[in-house]
Amino acid sequence: MARTANGLEIEGTVIECLRDATFKVELQNGHHVLAHISGKIRKHHIRILPYDRVLVELSPYDLTRGRILYRYRN
Amino acid sequence: MNTGNTVSTARLAEDRWEALSGDRVVGHGDLARRADGRLFLSIDVWQDEAFDQLAAAMLADLDRPLHTLVGEDDHSLTARWERLGFAVGRREWEYVLPTDPRETGTSRLPAGVTILPAGEADEGPLRALDRAIRDEVEATVGWHTMPAEVVPRAAMVVEPSKYAVAVLDGAYVGLVRVARVPRRARIGLLAVRADLQRRGIGRALLTHALGALHRDGIGPARAEIDASNAAAIALAEGVGGRRAGSCLELVRH
Repeated sequence: MARTANGLEIEGTVIECLRDATFKVELQNGHHVLAHISGKIRKHHIRILPYDRVLVELSPYDLTRGRILYRYRN
Repeated sequence: MNTGNTVSTARLAEDRWEALSGDRVVGHGDLARRADGRLFLSIDVWQDEAFDQLAAAMLADLDRPLHTLVGEDDHSLTARWERLGFAVGRREWEYVLPTDPRETGTSRLPAGVTILPAGEADEGPLRALDRAIRDEVEATVGWHTMPAEVVPRAAMVVEPSKYAVAVLDGAYVGLVRVARVPRRARIGLLAVRADLQRRGIGRALLTHALGALHRDGIGPARAEIDASNAAAIALAEGVGGRRAGSCLELVRH
């Protein structure tokens, strides 16, 4: 887990696509979070699918919520 | 989330705005300027009130029209933008296309047409075909109606390994570009010279590309299609494609 200027970032794996463009992500530490995709991912038409490895920024207000910042290539 | 704290915004750069609650960053807005001049906004926030404040700051700073992209199933985000005066400018469907010929069906090649598999086209004529097709699009509907962002011509690399090409009387007349990535194979571009459309060349190219993926053990492919492009939709559905979602381009004029 890395602490950045914007908060905590941690890798995880998408385990489920939910409604309202939300994804359930299992983090490296085994915790599950609900994550939206970031605006940049949306703008670049990057599709998130189950089993994708992603970088998640955790909400400073609710550590069960996050935002997917990056999708790894494999 | 609404914390009740006061949110302030600041423009940090030409393309970046930030929202602060106290000394904590609670959101940011980004601007992307596409090659065709369109301005695309995006906003990411941890507090609901930060969204509206960032949007207000960005709208005050930028000339219209302004664009943004949302997934059609992202109802809350769509509603936020619509409250700010954005309306649907374009819808694109995402299609999932089977690759198994038992599902796609086979396509008889139009008379005189052959297809060069990916990697077999000569780069010079392929680049010339790409240029000709780009000119035809720019002269008619324009790239602004295309689902994907179009890379400026000077920066475009035409990589023959990604293209299958239709050939008629020795001339390159159509192409299909495929990203051959397992789990996310994608038909990036399918195009036929304007004067040779509606002869089955596009369908032949598409079934060829899907069949090649199938032979390499790659499952369904995806493609984005503008909702107003009836010919492309008919083509996708003609090979067994099904809709798997859609993306909205919202515009504020």
